[in-house]
Formats: sequence, C-alpha cells, structure tokens
Amino acid sequence: MSTISVTVMTIVIGFEGSANKIGVGIVRDGTVLANPRRTYITPAGQGFLPSETARHHRSCVLTVLKEALEEAGIQPEDVDCVAYTKGPGMGAPLVTVAIVARTVAQLWGKPLLGVNHCIGHIEMGRLVTGAANPTVLYVSGGNTQVIAYSKHRYRIFGETIDIAVGNCLDRFARVLKISNDPSPGYNIEQLAKRGTRFVELPYTVKGMDVSFSGILSYIEDMAERMVCTGECSPEDLCFSLQEVVFSMLVEITERAMAHCGSQEVLIVGGVGCNVRLQEMMEIMCKERGAKLFATDERFCIDNGAMIAQAGWEMFRSGQTTALEDSWVTQRFRTDEVEVTWRD
Amino acid sequence: MSTRCCLYADSLTNDSKLTVPFPSEKLAWIAQRSLSPDPEPRKGGISKHVSVTDSILNVSWMADEARILRVSVSSFLDHLALVLETMEAFGPPSVSGLK
Repeated sequence: MSTISVTVMTIVIGFEGSANKIGVGIVRDGTVLANPRRTYITPAGQGFLPSETARHHRSCVLTVLKEALEEAGIQPEDVDCVAYTKGPGMGAPLVTVAIVARTVAQLWGKPLLGVNHCIGHIEMGRLVTGAANPTVLYVSGGNTQVIAYSKHRYRIFGETIDIAVGNCLDRFARVLKISNDPSPGYNIEQLAKRGTRFVELPYTVKGMDVSFSGILSYIEDMAERMVCTGECSPEDLCFSLQEVVFSMLVEITERAMAHCGSQEVLIVGGVGCNVRLQEMMEIMCKERGAKLFATDERFCIDNGAMIAQAGWEMFRSGQTTALEDSWVTQRFRTDEVEVTWRD
Repeated sequence: MSTRCCLYADSLTNDSKLTVPFPSEKLAWIAQRSLSPDPEPRKGGISKHVSVTDSILNVSWMADEARILRVSVSSFLDHLALVLETMEAFGPPSVSGLK
C-alpha cells in the first residue's frame, strides 16, 4: 500500500493601508514573492490626516497592485485568497483599500479575508525570524502593546494607556520641524546619535502598562525654550526622549517575560526598526539569557506581505470573510481574533 | 468604462438618489457588494441604501441636513469611481478597454 501526498501551493495577496503606507504583498507558502509599498509623506511640522491619506492611497493602490503581480510573476487566477486589513487603523484609508480588495476578490472569484493589522505584524515577524513562541513587543505610530500567545489568542499583557510610542515620537518631530522623509522616527534616530547631553524627562510605567502623553506634553513645552536658550540641542532632546521611552518599553517587556517564563523577544512594528531600541532590548535579554528577534525595515514598517502572510495562516486553517461582514473598523483588539492556526 | 449616472437631490427634504448603469448585472452586483459593507462614518443624521435592479446600481440617501448629505454623496462617488477604475484595470476583457 502506498500513500500519495499532494502538496498544493497556496498563494495569498494582501492589501495594507491602515496608516500612511499603502502596500500590496504576495506570499506563497512562506516565501514573499512581492512586497511593493508607497508612503504618504507630509511636510515637516505636519501630521497626516485621514481624508488626504485616503486620497493618496486611492491614487496609487491600483499601480502598486499591478507592480505586485508583475514582480511576483503571477496572474490573478493563480491567487487563492485576497486578504486585506480589516483594522485597526484610520477609517477613510482602511475603507479605500478594502473597496479595492473586495472588488478584485469578486472579479477574480476568490475568497476574501479580513486580517487584524497587529496580527499581520506578528505573523510576519514569526515567519522572518523563526522565533518559536516569543514575547512580542509591537511598537508603531498607532500601537504599543506587549503580546504573548496563549490558548488560541494573542493576549495583550501590557500596552499604552494613552498614545502609541511612535505617535509620541512623530508629534515631537513636528515641534522641532524634523523632516517626515523617510519617516520622523528615522530622522529622530539619526539626530539622537549625535546627542551628548541627557535631559531629565518624566518616566511613566504603570504596572504592566506605559503612558506617553505626559512625556510628550512635557517635551513639547520645554523643547523650544531649551533649544533657544542653548541649554540643549535638538540632538540632545532626541537622544533623551529615545533613552526614556525605550527604557519604559524594555521594562514592560521584561515584566511580561518574567510573567510568562519566556526566553524570546520579538520586536515588530515601525518603531522596531530603531537600532537603539534593539540595542537596549538586547542588553536586557542578555541579562536574562534570552534571545532577541527583530526584522528589517521591509517588514517592520507596515507592508502588504504581512497581511498576506497572516491571511495565508488564517486561510489554511479554514477562515474566510463573507462580503457583508467585510466592513472595516478603526478599533480591533489583537485578542479579538481566534488564532485557529496555532496549537 | 464610461457610464452615464443620474444623480438627483431634493433640497427641501435632503434626500438624494443615484442610478449607475453597468455593462452587466454581475458587475452591478460586484459594485453593490464592494460599496455596502462599511457603515457611514457619522453616527446619525444620514442613512444610505445601495441596491441593484437588472444591471443598474441604485443608491438612495436620507439626511437631516444638506451638508451631511453632501459629504456622504461626495464620498460615495469617490468610492464608486475607485470601483469602476478597478474593474477597468482588472476586470474581464469586455470591461477593460471599453472607454
């Protein structure tokens, strides 16, 4: 008696546009075939608003989709599932991208799958780094959470009680009119490398959680004054802000690791690109004999392939989203999703 | 894909109706299913209904005030244009290239 096993390739296309990045990614069984992306960059001193961000995404989403198919060298009929970001994120941009996903899914006759943005980051982080069961620090312009997997849920162990760490950094950049190209966080990181003075700033950790609105209002108040009087330079402020907020993140990550008995840390999200944050986390991990995992800017920063990857896992475990249930939502907790693809 | 829409609005009752003919019933339904799932961003003061008869997409609005109606209609037309562009770029041969 012989058994024949047939491995069928699964190709998933993923659409991401919950903030100012619009990306379309294609994944086939753990290989990223394409991952083009565009970023809506505002002038220094300005943030990005929902309607103008949606307009940006609308103007280039079809071009990025064509690029993705060409780069992957596949035809629409090769796609098995169309995944898109259901939430969380900004309303207008989410709707714009979801409309395209719904339309192509129907035109191509493929099932649709609404993906949680945070889980997209986690699943891409797991794929790229191979981390088995890490404590995840998810840090971006819109989110700051410490997550660990348990019994079919990505459970939130700690989070910001007000604004995300990336939001704090982005808004601080506006005060000093630091350029948003390629991103305000990147430019703060470069300036911080040249800082020489540490300026005292409020440090706010509350148990398992963190708070950034206090440090932001403090630094917004004193930044202009201190730079004008020459008390400190913008580089010193960038350096000090990073040291303080990143220390806070390391503290709550360590607390979660101790709680779970975890020996792995995975950093995901745009702020995860920051080398100083990775350095500080590495020091803590070494002290605990734990291992640190991080991805590069292709996957840290919002991208379509992470949605495709999470979609691939969900689709293979039998999930799909009916069109009438495919509405997008600005609030979507990471622990709302049943993680059917893990034990 | 060119298509002649008809938009009607009543300034007294703040109601509006839009009809959009499609090349086929199938495409009209695809548009309906792409454009109906998301609720209006505003919590109240506006209601919208999207339906299909034959190959025509019908949209009707009821609003409390003209400005609320304007925002919703304008937003819908943007999204509709996006659906049409997507169909033109990725739809079957009979749709794309039909200018």
